[in-house]
Amino acid sequence: MTGKREILNVKGLSAGYGPMRVIHDLDFIVYSGERVGLVGLNGHGKSTLFYAIAGLTGWQRGSVCLNGVEVGRTRSQGPGRYTHLIVRQGLALIPQGDEIFHGLSVEDHLDSGAFTPRAWRERAERKKRILEIFPPLVKLMHVAVGRLSGGERRMVSIGRGLMAEASLFLVDEPSLGLAPKIGKGVMDALMSVDLGGSAMVIAEQNVALLEGRVHRIISMHVGKLKGEASAKFGFETTREL
Amino acid sequence: MDFGFILINALVLACIYGTLAIGISITWSSVGLINLSYGFIFAASGYGAWLCAQYISTFGAVVLMAGILTGALMGLLVCALAFIPIHDKPSFTVRGMIATLAINLIGTQTLMWYFGPRAKSLPEIFGSWKIHLGHIVLTADKIGNIVASIVVVTLVLQWMRSSRRGLEIRAMMMNPHAAAIVGIGVRSTGFYVMAITGGLAGLAAVLLSQTYYISPFGGLTPMIKGVSIALCGGLGSVRGAAIAAVLLGLNEAITSVALGGQYVLITQFAFIILILLVRPRGIAGILDKAREA
Repeated sequence: MTGKREILNVKGLSAGYGPMRVIHDLDFIVYSGERVGLVGLNGHGKSTLFYAIAGLTGWQRGSVCLNGVEVGRTRSQGPGRYTHLIVRQGLALIPQGDEIFHGLSVEDHLDSGAFTPRAWRERAERKKRILEIFPPLVKLMHVAVGRLSGGERRMVSIGRGLMAEASLFLVDEPSLGLAPKIGKGVMDALMSVDLGGSAMVIAEQNVALLEGRVHRIISMHVGKLKGEASAKFGFETTREL
Repeated sequence: MDFGFILINALVLACIYGTLAIGISITWSSVGLINLSYGFIFAASGYGAWLCAQYISTFGAVVLMAGILTGALMGLLVCALAFIPIHDKPSFTVRGMIATLAINLIGTQTLMWYFGPRAKSLPEIFGSWKIHLGHIVLTADKIGNIVASIVVVTLVLQWMRSSRRGLEIRAMMMNPHAAAIVGIGVRSTGFYVMAITGGLAGLAAVLLSQTYYISPFGGLTPMIKGVSIALCGGLGSVRGAAIAAVLLGLNEAITSVALGGQYVLITQFAFIILILLVRPRGIAGILDKAREA
């Protein structure tokens, strides 16, 4: 069991917005070095699960342990109130639909991803690494993000997430709204990231993009996790769910 | 009519009100608070500078710093009272506006109770020299006002452009939700923003005290002007606020010469309504991507 550390351990998590309950009593473990695919239809709670881990849902209850530290708690209001603290614990959320800062340049944008003190000091190096993953961004460094194309924005959004010194990357629908070829390119880039001791969860509707490239695929249905398939990557999955 | 005189006066007013308006604009777009307690912050800064001139030193730079520091402190106080407790509650915009208005009323009454209704005057912080430029006379306070406000505002904007905290504030101005996602703490940023904009109000207070007196309710008119300039420029836009400040300063100077001082507010609001009819999001609402209400 070398290096198979629990990065994320979710126990009995329920979350939603107002009277609506989107996630129902969900358990979920992610180990270090793992790439996990989370598949499921629209509106079945993939994004809400990510938001709940980041403390951004309207309310939530249940346990969320990130690197052994409890970051979830019962909370009935104040979405986003603790998010910055959770992010400092090592979470990088790459949200759906590019939550970007329209008026900031690509460079400012990448800087804003490196928010922990250590990442901020190393940001020049980190930016270089991101530009190796997304070469098209090199000549766009000083352009305002609001003027980029959809694919370029997605690169910026993902780049911003990867700038962080995180142990858990949550990537929400990286191929959404992109032309198939560009979506595949973005996915290739995500697969090429060296995870080291960290882990990545990718929510995606297009299972074909994930197949054979992630360690396991979990499907989500009406706010619950439904079974798990070990992708043909050959990773020993333990059925702890 | 002496156009040189009008122009200089317009510029001085534009600088002072612009400083205040930029503060209001930044506060609104980054922390989502329409801060109506600037009248109090403004008056309190004036008294802070006055106390400093009375008991510590009458040296211009010291008095100016005392005003700015008092403003920043008051900004922190307002943040602690009106932003921290309610910023994540529903309909924060309206509640925040009412809370800051309450602080404004209580604060100005407290100043009245403590310092009394008599107006105070500050020493001439820029000295009493003057320059003759053709037939225009530039007095020290006018030049000082223009230079001081432009220098301080430029420093603040430069800091916002280059530092990590500045990036934090700009990110909040663009997209508060995404800012939370990248790990920016709303509350700590709120303190920075309120301290800085409070300091800007303090600067404006000391500068305006070179023309007017300091009184408990002296901050009301500047605040109304500041808010209307910020609105006119498009809330959230620094460039828009600067342009609106110049336009409204010009309007104020021309009106007070051509019609008389008592008509200034009338022409000013007529002018603002005209601008908002043509450009509903203010002058620079389209120039840069500001947060929409």
